[in-house]
Amino acid sequence: MPRFLVRYVQIVETINRTFGRVAMYLLFVMMGIMVWSMITKFAHIPALWTLEMAQFTLVAYYMLGAPWTMQSEVNVRMDLIYARFSHKGRALTDALTVFFLMTYLGIMLYGAFDSTVYSYTYNERNPTAWRPVLWPLKSIITFSFALMLLQATALLIRDIATLRGEKI
Amino acid sequence: QETIKWRLQTYAGPALAEEVVKPAIEAFNTIANGQMEIELYTSDQLVPTGELFRAMQNGTIDAVQSDDDSMASPTEVTVFGGYFPFALRYSLDVPALFNSWGLKEIWEEEYAKVGIKHISAGSWDPCNFNMKEPVNSLEDLRGKRVFTFPTAGRFLAQFGVIPVTIPWEDVEVALQTGELDGLAWSGITEDYTSGWSKVAPYFLTNNISGAWIGHFFANMERWNAVPAHLQQLLQTCFDQSHYHRQWWYWAGEAKLRVEGADMTLTSLPTEDYAKLEEAAHKFWDEVAAESPLKAKVVDIIRKYNETMVKAGVPYRY
Amino acid sequence: MDHNTIALLMFSSLLLMMLTGQRVFGAIGFVAVIAALTLWGPGGTDMGFSAVMKLMKWTPLLTLPMFVFMGYVMSESRLAEDLYRMFHVWFGPLPGGLAIGTILLMVLISAMNGLSVAGMAIGATIALPELVRRNYDKLMISGVIQAGSSLGILIPPSVVLVLFALIARQPVSNLWLAGIGPGLLMAVMFIAYITIRTWLNPQLAPRMSAAERASIPRAEKYKLLRAGLLPIFIFAAMMVPFINGWASLTEASVVGVAATVLVAAIKRRLSWRVFETATKQTLHITVMFMLIITAALSFGAVFDGLGAGRAIQNFFTSDLGLAPWMILVLMQLSFLFLGMFLDDTAMLVIVAPVFVGLAKALGFDLIWYGVLYTITCQIAYLTPPFGYNLFLMKALAPPEFTLPVIYRSVLPFVLVMVLTLVLIMVFPQIALWLPQTVLGR
Ligand code: NA
Ligand code: NA
Repeated sequence: MPRFLVRYVQIVETINRTFGRVAMYLLFVMMGIMVWSMITKFAHIPALWTLEMAQFTLVAYYMLGAPWTMQSEVNVRMDLIYARFSHKGRALTDALTVFFLMTYLGIMLYGAFDSTVYSYTYNERNPTAWRPVLWPLKSIITFSFALMLLQATALLIRDIATLRGEKI
Repeated sequence: QETIKWRLQTYAGPALAEEVVKPAIEAFNTIANGQMEIELYTSDQLVPTGELFRAMQNGTIDAVQSDDDSMASPTEVTVFGGYFPFALRYSLDVPALFNSWGLKEIWEEEYAKVGIKHISAGSWDPCNFNMKEPVNSLEDLRGKRVFTFPTAGRFLAQFGVIPVTIPWEDVEVALQTGELDGLAWSGITEDYTSGWSKVAPYFLTNNISGAWIGHFFANMERWNAVPAHLQQLLQTCFDQSHYHRQWWYWAGEAKLRVEGADMTLTSLPTEDYAKLEEAAHKFWDEVAAESPLKAKVVDIIRKYNETMVKAGVPYRY
Repeated sequence: MDHNTIALLMFSSLLLMMLTGQRVFGAIGFVAVIAALTLWGPGGTDMGFSAVMKLMKWTPLLTLPMFVFMGYVMSESRLAEDLYRMFHVWFGPLPGGLAIGTILLMVLISAMNGLSVAGMAIGATIALPELVRRNYDKLMISGVIQAGSSLGILIPPSVVLVLFALIARQPVSNLWLAGIGPGLLMAVMFIAYITIRTWLNPQLAPRMSAAERASIPRAEKYKLLRAGLLPIFIFAAMMVPFINGWASLTEASVVGVAATVLVAAIKRRLSWRVFETATKQTLHITVMFMLIITAALSFGAVFDGLGAGRAIQNFFTSDLGLAPWMILVLMQLSFLFLGMFLDDTAMLVIVAPVFVGLAKALGFDLIWYGVLYTITCQIAYLTPPFGYNLFLMKALAPPEFTLPVIYRSVLPFVLVMVLTLVLIMVFPQIALWLPQTVLGR
């Protein structure tokens, strides 16, 4: 494979792994928020933000973790036929069907971007009493879909390498 | 000629939609006789309520039934949607304010700015608390997680209420799982219709607003693409649906207080209720200070209420 | 295009996309966005993304990473080892005793976590080597572990029932309570099956020798019973605040995590490796779930918005003109059939909205229907060719457990599960008695 492609795959996957490794600890942020919510509930102090903040954190958690998860073969496939293919056979089907995945991610990215622009333009707030602005969260979602799309291209390059009998 | 098809999403869940919007849509479809057809979708069915406005703006959804507040309209008037505390006492106050006191023009103009046609406004039920535990004083509300509208929540937070906003359809579940201690969302008719009366059986008779303002909106381009006679029919059917709700809620509120088997009624002491009203008037000032347009609306509301007080019985007792 | 055609087109392209072996979320999502792009009209491009925001508001989903994390801490820190030793010592002397002990272990593990993954991991790492060492029949071992761990989604806490609650908008507490009776019934039926099989053919499950039995001091036997306190503690830490309304469901799940971590720490099993692996696995599993649900939610909304949802309901109720019971049986059969191919999350989010609407329209109790649905999911985990537990078994077990062995091993257990399903369909009170008694509705 051309060196720049190999380099590209390495860079994309390093970025995604880094974000994923940071995101995985957001789990404990969620726990912390819910513990705080319990404490304030017992103390009868209003905490307007806990539930929403926990929801936001969950979104950031799985969205930022998603590109990394795509690297490792965790996402379920229905491998009724796929499992019977040879190593190269799988790489070939993957190299073709990854375009479906890219289409999906591309349209999600478009929708997320559009929604982020909207929330920025109108200073959109979550319709709640706390009323946090939504553009930071929507930006994170948009950014994550972009990373997922990059990861999908990296997967494609890896599959092509496999087909050429090389390994990245 | 091809049938014009519209998707309309209401903020109401299936059980409530059956009463508050379905009859009007069915009537419209029957009279339109194949020239136009509205498909009705209930809360969150196509898009989540928070995304509803944008979806209508983009044309993903053609029309919407909602208050300004829960669908987070990016307009100056949003704060008055849902329940603006103590602005209204009776459901007739809504059409009076919109049609005789000038609110309709303001709403039409504000929505046109963001690409939306404001079709019509109508009144719904009052905003009472219905709770899992009895409320006999303002103090009893402290620390309670209450499902309510954003603006009402902003107002109630000063009394220690923790306002929670979740999808309408999840409320019953949330009451059971302890996510909520109660609601400040509706009158008693809706409590019974939604099954909340069973899970949160204490009804506080003092309301923080006598009626909710619900609107029909449409994407401006879609509205303009509809021929004039169908526009008129849309207007007429939606206006008619306000009338249906008016008697349905008015009759239900009284009857269920007296005859309803699920709920126990409680009341606030007069001085506590007066504290709420006083706080509401302060809240009006705060909102009026936010922009000239908001000041204009608050002014209309204030003058309207003063007139009602001067008019005396039966407008004010 | 007419509504029936759209329904047929969307479903067939979905199955076709699945067959390509691309990631399930990509396959579902692709069909959803393409259908929206081509058939929706203006603004269709937003239908994919709005599912992300819809999902965000589903509060009970916050429990998903918590239950997954609990399961991993439990299996990674080998908390169940003493528990298994307890069953081993007490049940080993019985015919098929260790297999019965494994089922009982799985019941307790099910009471501590919400998925079947943890049960599979614990079964494969702790029970399997012991069963192999005792010369149990391979088919018996593989079947017991897979069937037993599937109880994780029926006995509360259960993630599948949380998801069902979200789709059907039913109270989670009622659904969880409704899962207990059927879960225990199913465990009893598994045990009955094992007993009968080993009684007919003792070679399948050799008993513990008299010499070995004698070598275990009585005092130790009683000391081991203390291991049984662990699941009671964790289950109570989670369920007592929840049922009493002191903590919400999501908060209770955090309490469950805290209890599990606490126990692991007290037992000095909470190494950095355990902690890190559990954290990492939790992210992966959560992402996997959330991506599938997001894609499936868009699919469902597009399907609805194109009028296909109504078409299917009309087809069942008006066109076929069947009695409600016939429709129910048909729904269960199609669930079982789809379960052979579809992942349970996808099945729930895509098919369930249509079926739940139908069940409701026909006047069936949705709590009861949720239990029926969960059992079909359990069966789906075990039915070839596509099933979570099958794959997990292949991944976790030694190589002599070949795919044909794994496939064959589940068959008798699947039959037992179908029998349980039928029993609960005929006697709804098995599921409904507990929630009606405890919650009064
Ligand atoms: Na469980
Ligand atoms: Na299966």
